[in-house]
Amino acid sequence: MLKISFWLKRIAQLLIVLLLVTFGVSLLLRLIPVDLATVLLPVGTENERDILREELGFDKGPIGYYLQWLGNFVQGDFGKIYFSGGTEEVSAHLADAMPRSLLLMAYTQVIAIAIAVPLGVVSAYRAGRRADKIISNTLFTLSSVPNFAIALLLVIFVGVKFAWLPTLGYVPLSDGVWEHLKHMIMPVISLSLGLIATYTRLLRADMIAALREDYVTMAASKGLSDQRILWRHVLRPSSLTLLTSAALSMGGLIGGAIVIESLFATYGVGFEVFAAIAGRQYVALQSTVAVIALFYVFFNLIVDIASGFVDPRTRDRRVNA
Amino acid sequence: MRKFTKPTWLAIGWLSLMMFFAIFGWVLPFKSWNFVYEDDLEVGLFTNGHILGTDSNGYDLLASIVAGTRMSIFIAIAAVGLGGLIGSVLGITAAYVRGKVDTVMVTIFNVGLSVPNLVLALALVSVLATNVDINQAVPTWRRVMVLIMSLTIVLIPILGRIARGATLSWTGREFVTAARSMGMRDSKIITKHIVPNVLPALIAVAFLAVGVVIIAEASLSILGVGIPDGASWGGMIARGRNDLEYAPHVLYVPIFFLALTVISTNHLGDVVRAQLDSREAKV
Repeated sequence: MLKISFWLKRIAQLLIVLLLVTFGVSLLLRLIPVDLATVLLPVGTENERDILREELGFDKGPIGYYLQWLGNFVQGDFGKIYFSGGTEEVSAHLADAMPRSLLLMAYTQVIAIAIAVPLGVVSAYRAGRRADKIISNTLFTLSSVPNFAIALLLVIFVGVKFAWLPTLGYVPLSDGVWEHLKHMIMPVISLSLGLIATYTRLLRADMIAALREDYVTMAASKGLSDQRILWRHVLRPSSLTLLTSAALSMGGLIGGAIVIESLFATYGVGFEVFAAIAGRQYVALQSTVAVIALFYVFFNLIVDIASGFVDPRTRDRRVNA
Repeated sequence: MRKFTKPTWLAIGWLSLMMFFAIFGWVLPFKSWNFVYEDDLEVGLFTNGHILGTDSNGYDLLASIVAGTRMSIFIAIAAVGLGGLIGSVLGITAAYVRGKVDTVMVTIFNVGLSVPNLVLALALVSVLATNVDINQAVPTWRRVMVLIMSLTIVLIPILGRIARGATLSWTGREFVTAARSMGMRDSKIITKHIVPNVLPALIAVAFLAVGVVIIAEASLSILGVGIPDGASWGGMIARGRNDLEYAPHVLYVPIFFLALTVISTNHLGDVVRAQLDSREAKV
């Protein structure tokens, strides 16, 4: 019983956050000191603009406008992008951009975790020794270098000087796996370096704490090898913070990789945000930001569920808290 | 107090140099950063007269760096100062008062955090920097103000949440209960007992936040919504992208300065936090 009410409460909290985010964006748009209909239809007649105002709810107050947008959004109508030749559906743009962002995010996470876990285990096992110091210091320095700097240096060396990899564009998986991967390597490296450092650091700290626990002494006195203790007994309970951080960064990667997406012309969801702003497509902006927030909230929920599986102790702790 | 290690001294030294550039850059004997050296286009590093070379516009890169440092550091310090102040007031109040105020504040922080930093900054900049007459350019000083304001708003939930968390760990301590039972006023408990204990944690995060803001400002400039054609590190990177193939040093220079500054602030933030942890361990 307690558990169900806990989850209901958690979901309600996240829904409130979502509603507030979207309402906030909606309010922000209404604060723009220009007539939105004129911005969207710069060459249209006043009559056409009036129709648009009514269609989008610009003629209503902020709350009426928000409710109208929300009603459409929930039904899958994300609005349109207006340009001189006509209109395009925002949902069509997102349907094109979303797989790009999701794949970019997935590769980045897989690479980051695959590299961070062994590094974290080694540096926790050798805490304070040379191997630990080298790993920690190198990663710390790398993580402070902004991802666009890494991206530009990669473009200069790997892309231009040695011409090993294409510097621009995105090729869908269906057009050849290798071509697809070739276009993804540099963006993924740029995005994952910082994450590797964060993950390694979190895992190292948690593993050092776990290594001090009694059950580790117990396992060692039973005669289990260090390898087995580290990988089988310590890694799992120590990976909770890492998983939380990984899931939370997924939301960030889906909309937040704007600079990398525009440097490499990957054109994912982050770039859609940028394009909407640059082109003053405020309805598209509102819907795209809402989708990004939706993903963030969704991954937040996944964290809560997953952490219960990884470390069953947290389930009860959370319910009691 | 533990003696500083060599990297820490290097970080302090580098940041001092950057502060010197930012505050006293104008006394250095440079022409304006956008003075065009027509005879020296795209000269390389360590050329006579142009230590860091020039770009394809003929701008001297050292002069640009010094002017850019002023802009980037000014924006970073202003945004972190304002964001830290507002965030910590909100966070500390929420954690101290608890109840409904706390719930509302946490929800507001979560709302801010559920949109990626850069998306939020981008949206705020674009809304705040829109002129009533959309065809008219926005003056540079207003762009700077808008950037600072947007980055401040981005920082408030991040710093506010940390201030709240730090405060929560202190409000339950005996000395706070004791002060309260002796009839000390809440405002006094906060200023005398809570703030001094929460401050070190906030300072550690503030160093990290300076790095975040510098990177965010540069990202916005690369996307073309920062300070147009202005001198900031990000602006230099944005301009340098055109010279990427033939004069990559135009990119190396601002990237080097930016990266070293962020490494330094992150390192110092780490040192402050390590010091804090060892102090906590003793308590």
